[in-house]
Amino acid sequence: MSGFTDRVDLALADRILKVAVERTAGTAEAKRAVAVDAFPDFEAARDRAAAIKDHVVAHLGAYLEQFEAKAIAAGAKVHWASTADEACRIVIDICKAAGAKSVARSKSMLGEEIGLPHALAEAGIGRVETDLAEHIIQLADERPSHIIWPAMHKTREQVSALFKAKHRSPHEEETIAAMAESARRELRTQMLGADVGISGANFLIADTGAVCTVTNEGNAELSLVPPRVHIVTAGIEKIVPSMPHAIHMLRMLARSATGATLTQYTTFYTGPKRADDRDGPEEMHIVLVDNGRTKMREEGLAEMLRCIRCGACMNHCVVFRQIGGHAYGGTYPGPMGAVLTPVFDGLKQSRELASACTLNGKCQEVCPVRIPLPTLLRGWREKSWREGLEPTSMRWGLGIWAWVARRPALYRFGTGVAVRVMQILGKKGWISRLPLAGGWTRYRDMPKPAPQTFMNQYKKGRRT
Amino acid sequence: MSARDAILAKLKGAAPDKAAADALLIAPERPAVDTGALEAEFLARLALPSVSASHDAIDTVADLPAAVARYLAAQGEPHTLCLPRDPRLSACDWSGFTLHEAAAPDEVATLAIARLGIAETGSLVFETAPQAPMLPNFLALHHIVLLAVEDIAAHLEDAPLVGAQPRAHYWITGVSGTTDIEGTYVRGAHGPRFLHVILLRGAVG
Ligand code: SF4
Repeated sequence: MSGFTDRVDLALADRILKVAVERTAGTAEAKRAVAVDAFPDFEAARDRAAAIKDHVVAHLGAYLEQFEAKAIAAGAKVHWASTADEACRIVIDICKAAGAKSVARSKSMLGEEIGLPHALAEAGIGRVETDLAEHIIQLADERPSHIIWPAMHKTREQVSALFKAKHRSPHEEETIAAMAESARRELRTQMLGADVGISGANFLIADTGAVCTVTNEGNAELSLVPPRVHIVTAGIEKIVPSMPHAIHMLRMLARSATGATLTQYTTFYTGPKRADDRDGPEEMHIVLVDNGRTKMREEGLAEMLRCIRCGACMNHCVVFRQIGGHAYGGTYPGPMGAVLTPVFDGLKQSRELASACTLNGKCQEVCPVRIPLPTLLRGWREKSWREGLEPTSMRWGLGIWAWVARRPALYRFGTGVAVRVMQILGKKGWISRLPLAGGWTRYRDMPKPAPQTFMNQYKKGRRT
Repeated sequence: MSARDAILAKLKGAAPDKAAADALLIAPERPAVDTGALEAEFLARLALPSVSASHDAIDTVADLPAAVARYLAAQGEPHTLCLPRDPRLSACDWSGFTLHEAAAPDEVATLAIARLGIAETGSLVFETAPQAPMLPNFLALHHIVLLAVEDIAAHLEDAPLVGAQPRAHYWITGVSGTTDIEGTYVRGAHGPRFLHVILLRGAVG
């Protein structure tokens, strides 16, 4: 059995995990639905969001140069990294030059993607995770299981036990509010004493050189204002042309992620503190990270560069809801993770992710930037077949096109993860609620019978 | 080849057309706001559970200390305040208050002036400046904000500054909250647990 299959089996057998995932993802799903209903013409807004990102990706080089020039003019230092290792090295060098003993980190999926927590540990630099969920998983020595709620897999009972074991003055009352208060006490002084603050970026504003972060907790600001040095690590696809473009994306992000109209704290940082400012860092560094993104753009995954990391696709994914995020094995879980992980970890290691998908199309239906996730997943399946990565038994008898064309074949495909999830859903009486058959035909770009045959069209064309 | 050159070499292409970028912003979908009733629209958003800020109203800046005292008393808090060195605030009579400029790690309350209020979302817009530190607004338990009614704008697009940018331009839409444990909402994760807006009917000065 492969690592992935093992992890799925473990996850499916874990009742506590399912309760935990269901509590948060279920709430997120319901809240998003209310927010989207209340928004005028959300469908047109999704088209616009996709168009903004496509425009940026088409002109990415020019926008990056514009951003760089503006950020430098504002006093920031801009660094470029082709790979994850290079990005980490740049961050560590800046920390060392600053004589940093500890850094306060505000949750960033890019930081996870490039392995920054590990790199800091190796360099002997203390790390304070300031997002509550990241703090929980740092204490538990685990990895995030969701891009918005990294500690989604933990129940309140588990968090309580963890805080009691690790906090200096833990909560006494067994309430979630008391646990959050315990973390507030624990983190505050650590945060204020950090030498360097590290964040990601939700958006990079090309025409001002600003870096935008959004948080509900205000932990980004608390991590980035007191230290002498602020380091930003950002994927190159985070660019938008201007603030008004960012505003459209922010409206989409908040509604899709948490169902709010806007995230509580939205900050645009442009350069380090000005001469007479009362607070703020003296140095600001921005590390622009490629790590496979230029390759994605060239090799048929440009649409994935639209992703604004809202998490809606995983909240609405029947497979994610059953197995949680860790089973995916990469930095990014769920449907978007199944598309991204082969880019970072290689298709050979992660080819099974694409086949752990029921192809019900729900992810694409909720994606605020209309990423055709099922189509991209199918692209990985096809590549895996072309490159002979599928086990021989799987290749026998099933031609590369046959499995696409024959629905029952899909359910036997790969690890059969989708099938097992289906069985569970079926037992729970969910299956009737899943738009499986409809979803398949609605969202697959299966060759549609042409209204006329090719020869007919050809002949007609010749006649005119 | 440097990483910069390697990345940009792969991304060679036409410079973006400003008109094409602007065309993406024509008539954006956004929540409707009654521009004839901006104050009422703003207050309605402030009351949303996701923002849940309280508010009060005064006629002149001179009434500000009394409004702050009223709020702190109602909260059972001492009349201790982190007050930024803003001439518009220092001009008030703060007798009876213990004032300090830098926020303590366990700061109880801070006062700040918002440049704008946004009716679409109930957001308060701030910028860093010599008279406007940022940290107190994220540290204190009670975040008290002075906002002139005439500074309420309709949409988020009204917030950006034209030209040179400050170090930080930020929007606050509620209090420090978290849903990180089982998706349950808790206020006061790190920073403010309470947000109180004092609307000023006259000009801030
Ligand atoms: S793929 Fe779409 S739905 Fe999923 S995280 Fe990215 S933007 Fe959100």
